[in-house]
Amino acid sequence: MSVKAFELVPAVERDLLMGDKARINIECIECCGKHLYVGTNDCFIHHFLLAEVASSKGKPGYLAQKLLHKYLGLKKPVAELRAASALERLIVLCEGIVFLVDMVTLETVPSAGGGGAKIRGVASFCVNENPVNTDPFCVEMGVLSSKRRTVQIYMVYEDRVQLVKELTTPEQPCAVSLDGYFLCLALTTQYMILNYNTGASQDLFPYNSEERRPIVKRIGREEFLLAAPGGLGMFANAEGVSQRAPVRWSESVIGAAVCFPYVVALDESFITIHSMLDQQLKQTLSFRDGHILQNFEGKVILASTKAVYVLVPLPLERQIQDLLANHRVEEALILTEGAQRNIPKDKFQNLHKRILQQAGFIQFGQLQFLEAKEHFWKGQLDVRELISLCPLLLPASSSFTRCHPPLHEFADLNHLAQGDQEKVLQCKKFLISYLGEVRSTEVVNGCREDVDTALLKLYAEQDHESLLDLLASDNACVLADSVPWLEKYHKYFALGLLYHYNGQDSAALQLWIRVADGELQDPTRSDLFEYIVDFLCTSSNVDLVWKYADWALRKDPIVGVRVFTKRHTSKDQPDLNPDDVITYLGKHSQALLLYLENLVLEKRVQKEKFHTHLAVLYLERVLSLMSQSPKDEEQLTKARERLQALLRESDLYRVQFLLAKMENREELLLERATLHGKLEEHDKALHILVHQLRDFPSAEAFCLWASSSRDSAYRQQLFHLLLGVYLDGSPPGQSGDSGELEMAAVDLLNRHGEVFDAVRVLRMLPEGWSLQLLRPFLGRAIRANMHACRTSRIALGLAHSENLQLLHDRCKKPVFVSEKKGCHLCHNTFSEPSVVCLPGGVPVHTHCVAQRVRDSPTKRHTEPQFPSWTLQLWS
Amino acid sequence: MPEVSKMKKPDVKIVLLGDMNVGKTSLLHRYMERKFKETVSTVGGAFFLKQWGPYNISIWDTAGREQFHGLGSMYCRGAAAVILTYDVTNWQSLAELEERFLSLTDTANHDCIYALVGNKADLTDSKAQLCQDSDGLVKDRTECNEECEVPSGCPTPPASPTSLPGVMLRKQVINEDAVTLYGRILRYKGLEEKSSLPAEKMCFETSAKTGYNVDTLFETLFDLVLPSILRKRQENQQSPTVDLEECRMVGSKKGRSGCC
Repeated sequence: MSVKAFELVPAVERDLLMGDKARINIECIECCGKHLYVGTNDCFIHHFLLAEVASSKGKPGYLAQKLLHKYLGLKKPVAELRAASALERLIVLCEGIVFLVDMVTLETVPSAGGGGAKIRGVASFCVNENPVNTDPFCVEMGVLSSKRRTVQIYMVYEDRVQLVKELTTPEQPCAVSLDGYFLCLALTTQYMILNYNTGASQDLFPYNSEERRPIVKRIGREEFLLAAPGGLGMFANAEGVSQRAPVRWSESVIGAAVCFPYVVALDESFITIHSMLDQQLKQTLSFRDGHILQNFEGKVILASTKAVYVLVPLPLERQIQDLLANHRVEEALILTEGAQRNIPKDKFQNLHKRILQQAGFIQFGQLQFLEAKEHFWKGQLDVRELISLCPLLLPASSSFTRCHPPLHEFADLNHLAQGDQEKVLQCKKFLISYLGEVRSTEVVNGCREDVDTALLKLYAEQDHESLLDLLASDNACVLADSVPWLEKYHKYFALGLLYHYNGQDSAALQLWIRVADGELQDPTRSDLFEYIVDFLCTSSNVDLVWKYADWALRKDPIVGVRVFTKRHTSKDQPDLNPDDVITYLGKHSQALLLYLENLVLEKRVQKEKFHTHLAVLYLERVLSLMSQSPKDEEQLTKARERLQALLRESDLYRVQFLLAKMENREELLLERATLHGKLEEHDKALHILVHQLRDFPSAEAFCLWASSSRDSAYRQQLFHLLLGVYLDGSPPGQSGDSGELEMAAVDLLNRHGEVFDAVRVLRMLPEGWSLQLLRPFLGRAIRANMHACRTSRIALGLAHSENLQLLHDRCKKPVFVSEKKGCHLCHNTFSEPSVVCLPGGVPVHTHCVAQRVRDSPTKRHTEPQFPSWTLQLWS
Repeated sequence: MPEVSKMKKPDVKIVLLGDMNVGKTSLLHRYMERKFKETVSTVGGAFFLKQWGPYNISIWDTAGREQFHGLGSMYCRGAAAVILTYDVTNWQSLAELEERFLSLTDTANHDCIYALVGNKADLTDSKAQLCQDSDGLVKDRTECNEECEVPSGCPTPPASPTSLPGVMLRKQVINEDAVTLYGRILRYKGLEEKSSLPAEKMCFETSAKTGYNVDTLFETLFDLVLPSILRKRQENQQSPTVDLEECRMVGSKKGRSGCC
């Protein structure tokens, strides 16, 4: 459950430092570049040169070379040492006195002007690593007095120290750290932040300094690490806010340092390493007699009483890889992301991507697809890494090779699932969904062919419904690679789509036809035949249509003819010449009929030839049905209705030609009457209807039909003609009941009284008819006359009153029109003197009135509904 | 369970305060992880980052143990909302809020929002008991008693008395008590009751065990702290550097932050 983040490496061994003198202990250390200074309890400073060497097995090692040691001439231990490299000075605290020694010679620096380079009564001091002063040859120092409740700020120069500020603290301070203007202090009972510039202070939290040694470490800009009650390592910034959760140390912690992203702490027997990212304990190293733990410019150095060690961080990538090797994905990612600011941006991005990808594969291997997907996605995984887990999915043309070093340990899915086919299937399902999602994104730039081909193969293999969607839409599937695969899984329909997508319509059709003919088996579409017909309908390749239409017509003429009838015409789709089609369809009579019906009845092609052709075909059908015995009455009725409908509705066919064809056909009198009607030979038509067929309703219907697009006078004439035919009675030589015809005449008058000219009718009627017989007709005629008379009188009266009103308006009220006045209809101003006045003298534009009249629902009146007059009032 | 802090900078801070064993960690865990799990007594404190729309909200879970009491005011410093949590089966836990925890909030923002939350409502309220887990199952009552927060390293026994399976515990704190306390909190803060958020909106009864009211609690607070985020963002735009004057202001408030 731990990470190996650091390695403890000895730097200065005991014998190098003190030989066999048992009583000598290390009191303090300072490291500045390669220079290591050690202060001892016998008041010596030892100076070593520390060189990094790679030992055997590539492990880091340090070699220390002793340069000098120097006795400071006092009796107390050297309590603290700090290097000021720019000044080439060591700041030394010994026997309560701070003084300067030369970094090279270790000689005490004589004070300039006498006695200025010493500070007495010092309990502890610290150097400001984020100084306010910009002078590079000056070091800022915070000093705690051993006797008074004060903290002092000094400037340290090459040969003197200068007091800058002195502040009183509420309690005796015992540890200090300095960043900018902010002093972080451990007082007797609490920690506090003190701004030495403004004097503002901020209490942090209580801590009993007498029970436990306080720790105050600056760990970054305006952030400090503090030992808190209960063995906590607390973070606090200069505002007194904790921005990171605390880490949990032991109660007896002696020293602490931050080596991002870790917090290293030392207690009596262990070094503990916590991550600042998740506050978890990551590593524990046994370390006896630990005494000092300090971070010098990123180098963590420890000392026991007798020897010095360096805590060397292992390379981040190795730590991350260790975590990944143990499948600790979350931690690896946290560590990676936490290191973001310590690594150059581009390098970080590459590392982060790679870790995300590796993490994804680990989770993929554990079948945690949701998490895996997220990491693949974030890590912008080259999806071919995933595809390559399934053998043969990548097209042969693909140039892909797996990333090196490998992102995962799997040879293929079988290896991953250890032969469990259920797991393999789950992985494949994931792969399908993932590829489906990424294929339209930029992740697949440069490898679309590989991805789409792989997806096609997976779809085909898994019998996935999206196979057709893939092929029907924009795709980059490699044809050569997909053909055998689709054939293997009998996906012939899909293969046809792929051929079509690649412009090989002929190949597609050949394949589909083989399926439709049952030669190949593919149940994808039960309506494949219809599909082929529709495909031909929309094909822009005319040759293909001619080539395969015959097959379609032979298979099913009714559906097959759709190749021609359903054909959409558009710019890129040349239309077929109907004459060519009709010639082509010569041997498919049923299809030909359907095609002509389509042309004439649906597309309403106004061409005599087609209409006549269709009428002839209809007629031939009727005749053939009639000649059958026994007759299929139902079929016959249908066929005749069709013929009659065409004869009635079309005006284009050659009437004489058809009439000739049914000249001697007594069975087709109705049709002949219609044809006579077309020729406006109404007397002949009515003669047939009344005398030959004695079908009075049809005669009436004929009159209505023949006059349907004509004016009322024409209709009146037709009805009078029919009335005449009725009243004339049966022609000589033809037996018939004239009473029946008279009844028909009476019925006609009573039913269609409004059509007739009543006066003419009265003249025509035989004298002997009773009034009672014609009462409905006469009543209606009289009422109609009265109504017409009264309506015209009302219209006259209204016109008269309008004229009066108009006259009144014009004479009494002047109408003003100016450029500033607006038209009441469009609200624009007038620009011309001619206007139209609405009733009430409201002037409006002439074009507005015209518009209104046009838009009004009563526009059939050509005159405006309202009285208006045009004015010329402009002066 | 790593408390992922990532590298995002939080826009606003919400702090959970309350006596040990009232279920602060469980509440937060229920909200963040959508499940109830056994937790151990929190050491020091922990924090979670919640993405709420375009904003990052840090939620600090504090330790209820007396030992860590001194850290409380530091956690509260600059908080936009404080969730004062008690246990509905334990009268003392409500009293502690006023006695011990209220003074910790002196360091919070002047416009800090206070919510009073009575947790463990499932022990006293059948309504809260029925609230289903995220997996759609209502767990058996007996399980709960075992799962009730009983920290191993805890120096005092758990505050909530254990109950017989299926037997409702007596509710020691009714909602009215919380409403009254809310009024006293406002008075302590020197806030007008009329201009503050109403007690009925800010007093919740929840169950981390069943998830009852937990989302409502957090999401209500997130919505309420949004203005605070916007204001903070605006201020940051105005001065991208650290304003030393501001530090002085913080310092001048020192007089009230003496928590011990």
